[in-house]
Amino acid sequence: MRDIAIKLEGVWKIFGERAENAMAAVAEEGLTKSEVLARFGAVIGIADVSFDVRQGEIFCIMGLSGSGKSTLIRHINRLIEPTAGRVEVLGQDVMRLSEPELRAMRSEKIGMVFQHMALLPHRSVRDNVAYPLEIRGEPKGRRWEISQYVLSLVGLDGFEDRFPSELSGGMQQRVGLARALASDPEVLLMDEPFSALDPLIRRQLQDQFVTLSEQLHKTTLFITHDLDEAIRLGTRIAIMKDGRIVQIGTPEEIVTNPADDYVRDFVQDISKLKLVFAHTIMEPLQGDAVEKFAQSPRVSEDSDLDHLVDVAITTPHPLVITDAEGKDIGVVSKDRLLRGIQGGK
Amino acid sequence: MGANRTQGATSDAPAIDLTHSIAEFVGVRASFYVVRFNLLLAGQNRWRVNCAALIFGPLWAAARGLWAFFYLFVILELVAWVQIGRGLWGDLGADKLSEAARLQAKADQLMAEATRGDVSAQLLLESAANLSHAAENARIAAEAAADGATTYLLVGLLLLGLFKLMAGLWADRVYERQYTQWRVNKRVPSGFDLYRLASGCALLLFAFSLTLYRFTFSQPDERIMAVPVPSAYHTRTANLLEEYFDRTAAAGAGLFDSITGATETVLNAIEAVFVDTPWPVIAVFFLLAAWRFAGGRVAIFTGAALTYMGFLGLWEKSMLTLALVSSAAIFCVLMGIPLGIWCARSKRVYAVVQPVLDLMQTMPAFVYLIPIIAFFGTGKVPGILATIVFSMPPVIRLTALGLNQVPKDVVEAARAFGATQWQLMKGIELPLAAPAIMTGVNQTILMCLSMVVIASLIGARGLGQEVLVALQFVAKGQGILAGLAILCCAMVLDRIVQGRFRREEGT
Repeated sequence: MRDIAIKLEGVWKIFGERAENAMAAVAEEGLTKSEVLARFGAVIGIADVSFDVRQGEIFCIMGLSGSGKSTLIRHINRLIEPTAGRVEVLGQDVMRLSEPELRAMRSEKIGMVFQHMALLPHRSVRDNVAYPLEIRGEPKGRRWEISQYVLSLVGLDGFEDRFPSELSGGMQQRVGLARALASDPEVLLMDEPFSALDPLIRRQLQDQFVTLSEQLHKTTLFITHDLDEAIRLGTRIAIMKDGRIVQIGTPEEIVTNPADDYVRDFVQDISKLKLVFAHTIMEPLQGDAVEKFAQSPRVSEDSDLDHLVDVAITTPHPLVITDAEGKDIGVVSKDRLLRGIQGGK
Repeated sequence: MGANRTQGATSDAPAIDLTHSIAEFVGVRASFYVVRFNLLLAGQNRWRVNCAALIFGPLWAAARGLWAFFYLFVILELVAWVQIGRGLWGDLGADKLSEAARLQAKADQLMAEATRGDVSAQLLLESAANLSHAAENARIAAEAAADGATTYLLVGLLLLGLFKLMAGLWADRVYERQYTQWRVNKRVPSGFDLYRLASGCALLLFAFSLTLYRFTFSQPDERIMAVPVPSAYHTRTANLLEEYFDRTAAAGAGLFDSITGATETVLNAIEAVFVDTPWPVIAVFFLLAAWRFAGGRVAIFTGAALTYMGFLGLWEKSMLTLALVSSAAIFCVLMGIPLGIWCARSKRVYAVVQPVLDLMQTMPAFVYLIPIIAFFGTGKVPGILATIVFSMPPVIRLTALGLNQVPKDVVEAARAFGATQWQLMKGIELPLAAPAIMTGVNQTILMCLSMVVIASLIGARGLGQEVLVALQFVAKGQGILAGLAILCCAMVLDRIVQGRFRREEGT
């Protein structure tokens, strides 16, 4: 089994008629975004992006509008062609695929969910979900069975024969998700799927998506402009700004160790209680200080701050952190805990 | 800012001083306009006279860069000046007088012939008397016209005064509006500009002098009345075109004949269906189609229309017309939809097709009847071809429009799931563009029907021919009956075709 499902190496996308020239100039002279615009009338969409997405993980790309994240996700299934660089999906270089091979990959290996649902308004919910199968040439009976099944996965039993326009926004997006799952793809591309929904429905769909992905283990590339969402869903998060990736890391790494002021600004309002773990804020235990902390409660190193607070209010002593084998490895004083909640000032 | 002022009440909004900005805009005579604009801004809407505009009118507007104002008052003052010019210098009775002299001469000549003692002396005498009577009338009219000169002069002076006053009263408001526009767009003309004033003067001089000259002299110079070019230019170009048509017709005879042949085959088949099928079958078919596709009310209307055609003996002619219209519409749709798809696919193709479509729709039908006759002769096939030329644009345009309006994200989704071009077209684009395409088809059918009378000019048969014959013999009753039958055909077809997709949209 492959370890890495999606691999991007030095991907650039420059929009404009003279994109090729601009690319060459950028490679030689290292022009900035505004210089490229002034000299070639070309806009840099993606600049030198490289990352790997591991099999089965949910990889979130977070950035504000205009940061190039929607452009980036369209490179994976080659809806947009890169100006330079290499995109590899499931071990295949997508730029080397012939037209039929590309179509086969799109209809069998990759499912996509769109921000504005992009359901087919003239088809019933069932026929929308079955569309990828229809393209693949599955017989009608099989299409109906599969669409029935994926609709039940997203909790839309009984809505097969409605039109998308008869459904609420949240339900429409679940149809979109069902459609992406219908062809049982290995990779899911989700382009801000929950952004257009109101906060309550968004939360519901996020929870449903978490449950579903625990069941299905699909490699997912998830675009969002909402750091909360990225943290809730992502195994790892990449933060994008002006077409570049600023930082890649687990939610805890991003929150505790932001790479620059831009990321720090985002992270500052995020609650650390569930994201930061004991081993991050503990002070390593020096030598034989075990005596000193005899009365301290013992807490496992992968407990989150929320749990540390629960334990800390039951005792006047500092907390001692233990590793998987129960060995004492560090200590967290109350001051340290409070600072940790603040974000490690 | 305003820390000690209570916030929130709009009545507390501080006054703003626009003096500098207005002065910058106005340039010359700033203090005057600052006062005037501030009065207008304060909502004091009393009309005040701007003396510069009152006296100089369009020239004031030119210097200030108010070109719309300039043109309006140039034209208005020109109208007034022409009246004044005619009143003062116009030789008003001149043409009537010369006519009287001509008539009198003729009368005298007839009189002389009569006295020479011909057989028809009596008749000649009568004519001579009539002519001298007419000459007398012309002389009286000439005198009346000369008297009218004073009236012209008075009316002209009155109009001129009125227009001047209008310009004077209106000027401030127009100028203030220009100022408001200038505030957001600094390219709006501002200030007092001598170059603009000079060009305004030149235009005024040119227009006023030539026009006054033309209206005040009864026989102005020929060269300003008609464009002075030899008529040979026209003849030669026309001859060249004619030769070109003849050569093309001769060279392409084979092609044109085969087009005629193919069209005729289709038309004959369709005509056979409409005309040779027993009328009850056709009637039932129409009624059922109306009922199925468009509902009960349209079916009742269709019944009434069919009864009208049948009872007034227009059945066969109506069927001929329907056959002509159907075959023209079929050709339009068969060629128009693919063309429309191509136009939607390629911007370049659309850029080429667009002006051709405009030409097809705006060129009067009689004009392209000429090349069609040259290439295809007369008869029902050229009739159909002319109809196709006129009726195809809507289906092309609306197909392209409908396809371009298909939501981009839906198309992208289909591509993301691996759809081929053909699957995309068949499963997504055409269904979503269907309402627009159907509107195009509907319009095309109606435009085909509106061409039947014109097509009958070159030999198409049916109701159009009936109208044409009625027109030739001023047979009012026959013409109206046939016209109403065309209307019936149009409405029935329109309701059935439109009803079909209106019901589709409803579900």
